[in-house]
Amino acid sequence: MANITFPFPFPVILPVLPEIIVAVMAMVILIWDLFLPAERKQWTAYAAIATCLVAIDATLRTTGADAQMAFYGQFVLDPFAGFTKLLIIGATIYGIVLSLDYMKSEKNIGEYYSLMLFSMLGMMLMVSATNFIIMYLGLELMALCLYVLVGYQRDVLRSSEAALKYFILGSLASCMLLYGISFLYGLSGSLDFAAVGQALGSLGDNSSMAVSLGLVFIIAGMAFKVSLAPFHMWTPDAYEGAPTPITAFMGVAPKVAGFAILARVVIDALPSLQADYVTIFSWLAVLSMAVGNIAAIAQRNIKRMLAYSTIGHVGFILLGLIAGGPEGYSAMLVYLAVYLFMNMGAFAIIILMRREGIQGELLDDFAGMSKVRPGYALAMGLFMFSLAGIPFLGGFWAKYAVLIAAVHAGHLYLALIGILFSAVGAFYYIRVVKYIYFDEERVAFDFSENPLMQATVAVTAIVVVAIGIFPQPLMDICRAALGGIV
Amino acid sequence: MLEAAFFYLFGGLAVVAALGVVMARNTIHSVMFLIFCFFNASGLFFMLDAEFLGIILILIYVGAVMVMFMFVIMMLEVNFARLREGFLQYLPIGGAIAVMLLIELIAAATSGVFSSKTASTVEHFGREVNNTMEIGKVLYTKYLLGFEIAAIILLVALVGAVVLTLRSRKDAKYQVISKQVKVRKEDRLRKVEM
Repeated sequence: MANITFPFPFPVILPVLPEIIVAVMAMVILIWDLFLPAERKQWTAYAAIATCLVAIDATLRTTGADAQMAFYGQFVLDPFAGFTKLLIIGATIYGIVLSLDYMKSEKNIGEYYSLMLFSMLGMMLMVSATNFIIMYLGLELMALCLYVLVGYQRDVLRSSEAALKYFILGSLASCMLLYGISFLYGLSGSLDFAAVGQALGSLGDNSSMAVSLGLVFIIAGMAFKVSLAPFHMWTPDAYEGAPTPITAFMGVAPKVAGFAILARVVIDALPSLQADYVTIFSWLAVLSMAVGNIAAIAQRNIKRMLAYSTIGHVGFILLGLIAGGPEGYSAMLVYLAVYLFMNMGAFAIIILMRREGIQGELLDDFAGMSKVRPGYALAMGLFMFSLAGIPFLGGFWAKYAVLIAAVHAGHLYLALIGILFSAVGAFYYIRVVKYIYFDEERVAFDFSENPLMQATVAVTAIVVVAIGIFPQPLMDICRAALGGIV
Repeated sequence: MLEAAFFYLFGGLAVVAALGVVMARNTIHSVMFLIFCFFNASGLFFMLDAEFLGIILILIYVGAVMVMFMFVIMMLEVNFARLREGFLQYLPIGGAIAVMLLIELIAAATSGVFSSKTASTVEHFGREVNNTMEIGKVLYTKYLLGFEIAAIILLVALVGAVVLTLRSRKDAKYQVISKQVKVRKEDRLRKVEM
């Protein structure tokens, strides 16, 4: 026998407590579902929401002002990870609440909610990763659940098609990411972000082709996951085909996680390549803003329109990453937080409009909504104005923060392009408002009357307005959340 | 010298086999080439003294994954001729990207940043190192978190596959054992007047 010493040093697990709770509960729900009679399957959803609330509590309790390392420094819980985790869990709660009515008639809903929790778990691990292995595994866990969730309505052809496209392109992107990581590993001999950063810093010659290739492959892989143009091709199809609550969920949560880990990678692992990645990001941002805002104009399906809108918005969020520094990164977090509420609100209205057989997905379906349901019409109007960035709603401050950060960092031309495309984008958002308020009713409305959903819409609308009037608290929180990394 | 010769042998054959995977007209031949490619890759692992990884590659990829590939290909009956229709149409742009990438990869490989000290296998020759045990130690200590996440990923893959494919079919004939046990003579037997 060789000299194996027991016990191994037991890893620190307190910082991982929220993840452990989520993982255990997701498995418990998976099994509990088997013993529930068919009419009580809905309980799994409430259990999933309860899990999320407990996870929020655990995250708030465990996150301190300092970074806490766990698992031999491969996992970190700092204010940045804590804040982004709260956003991810918040997006998941929204996704579950929106699913309550929508998925009621589907089969296997226990697995549905448990897969959402697993996906959330993947994202939570991702934002806490300080090692490429953990980052990649978290990413795959998140993506694998999303592939299944997108194709959940297997009898709907476009749902299966969307899932297959998403899966194949997603696997390709994962390969690129891994290939890029392998380059950096070959150069530095380590997978820890900090060690890679040090090795690249001491390399001196960063113009080397090997470094550039590693950087490009990693950026390409990550750009796919957050649907930055030109890696956005899957987005409209996947958004349209997925069940609408999943569209809402994957429009926000993976973006939060993707940008959080991208920020961590560029700060910790690639600081010596700043000039290179800023150049690449600038092109990606301009392309995303252009594709997102121009292509959205031609869409008649509101889910496709919001897919292109997402592409446009991630372009703006990337501006924060390009600007860098405390101001840029906190602007990125502000944008992600505000985007969470705007996007979820808009999708909640779409889901409320779902009728028997017909889903409120075409723009025409919104015609004349203000006369039938002035409350919903007002909320949808607020969300659209906020997405467009009309002053004194949440979306305005989000755009303001990233644009100001870009200007301060010396990227004046990028900010100007951003403002230009923001004006282009305002057209199609306001067109929805025009349908709602100025067109005649074309189809009979029949809204689902779920009080929980209505409360969600009301709260979301209030939050969007409140952030618009008092943006300072959110900006302060986001600035404080950077304590751990900048 | 001998090591270099074997490296080029395995590496070269792996590249040839990989080309065969994409070029072969018959899908089964593609799978065979892929198996051959895996064998060569495992040879490379052996040369790095990573015999555990080499064996695992053969056992899992050749033994399990490729068998499943075979099943899928034989059961799905995909019309691969139709899949190839756009081949010439996409060849110019795809080929251009491939050539560009090849040039970049060669430039990266020859740029000297992958220094010989990391590539050398000689330094741990003659040391008492048990490959399998070292991997086990690292896997259950330093990479414990990653190991656990990988386990959850496998669980999700399992659940996902079941969720997407499990459909109760109306025409399927299920065996209900409780009914079979409870059945009485009167239910099945019928007296017929002769």
